[in-house]
Amino acid sequence: MKHTYDDEADVRTTALIRVMALFFVGIMIIAATTSPIATGTKEGERAPALEGKFYNGSGWSDFNLESYWDSGWAEGDISGQWLVIEFMDTDCPYCVQSAEDMGTNANDFGGNNPQWDGAVVNFIASATELDIGGHDSSRNEVVAFRNKIADSGEECASSDCGSRPGAAHNFPYVDDLDQDNMKKWKVSGTPSYYLIQPDGIIAWSSAAHQGEDLRDAILTLVPRESA
Amino acid sequence: MDPNVQLMIYVIPLLIGFLMVLPIGRTIFASFSGSIPTMGSERGRVFIGLIITCLAGMAVSFQTLWISSKISEGGNFCASNSILSCDDVIGNPEYNTDPFFGIPWGGIGAVVFSILLYLTYSSSKEPNADWASSYLKYGTYLTFAGFFVIAMLVYYEFEMGKICQYCTTAHFANIAAFIGFFRLMRLNESKEWNTY
Repeated sequence: MKHTYDDEADVRTTALIRVMALFFVGIMIIAATTSPIATGTKEGERAPALEGKFYNGSGWSDFNLESYWDSGWAEGDISGQWLVIEFMDTDCPYCVQSAEDMGTNANDFGGNNPQWDGAVVNFIASATELDIGGHDSSRNEVVAFRNKIADSGEECASSDCGSRPGAAHNFPYVDDLDQDNMKKWKVSGTPSYYLIQPDGIIAWSSAAHQGEDLRDAILTLVPRESA
Repeated sequence: MDPNVQLMIYVIPLLIGFLMVLPIGRTIFASFSGSIPTMGSERGRVFIGLIITCLAGMAVSFQTLWISSKISEGGNFCASNSILSCDDVIGNPEYNTDPFFGIPWGGIGAVVFSILLYLTYSSSKEPNADWASSYLKYGTYLTFAGFFVIAMLVYYEFEMGKICQYCTTAHFANIAAFIGFFRLMRLNESKEWNTY
């Protein structure tokens, strides 16, 4: 007698195929209509949050990194403002040495230099306290470092903070003495620099370009009118 | 379309599914038993309610995953200054992925509801199969385990001071699915399983 059914048939297979088809349709719709960008600190990723109080010369207040982002920014748009974040420690000798370069870069690319015809680059320093002997920092030390206050009683890398190279800085310093931001950003050492596009995507990081200068990265990546 | 209006696409079927899995569903949906014979039995009605619930849960989870992807692009979907702001919750990189694999919660929800849908759909097609009672138990255990994840996600929302209405809809779908699976599991153990 001819079978009119399949002895091996199992409704579970049919159900599985149907549910899987539905699942893949959902995934395909998402894949076709979005281009997700991961949050992280590698180039091409969206910069994570940077939280805490910041000092801008007139006291400590809440810092909001999100306020710097412009989601409508398009590549090449010169009106968008870029951002440089430096992770530093006021007791790290190399951070003290590079303070002059940071100040120079902030003045040259910050929008007040008529010779710079590129997009404005804002600067932020995130000041931490590394777990190394002799690295005892504080908000007063951060202020003394930023403002280059002489004879404040604060020592930056075993010297008076007022004697550090360069002029006083005019960009904000975020309090990361508890290392929260540093850990979130997976910063392995100081100083570390990140150049971030106006839409919040990391364009360049010093960790990925050992030996490359921040200034060269700005000149290469930030759009200019004359380019 | 306003995101809260769009949410109704998921909320309405979910409420229908939820009512169907409840004992009160017998009274509410009694008039449908003429046109849909399956609705005439307790087992059939709860199965249909559970399938609708799982489908709604799966769809809203996919929507949550979509929102998560859109926010990562830098876009907005349901940002608001009020307490109901799914962008603030889904867009928070501290909380928007599972702590082990970094998978967005919406993706996990979509996978879980797909599994629940498979368990329900296959059991409904062959309710007297040997494996059907096991499947109903798996569904009950899985949705019960979901309560702990929901508790954690609600704690995250409490920490942020914001509520994600899309996530809450998915959480509610899990609760409704648990009730459905639990009722079917109990029914399966009773003589009423094959009563029409």
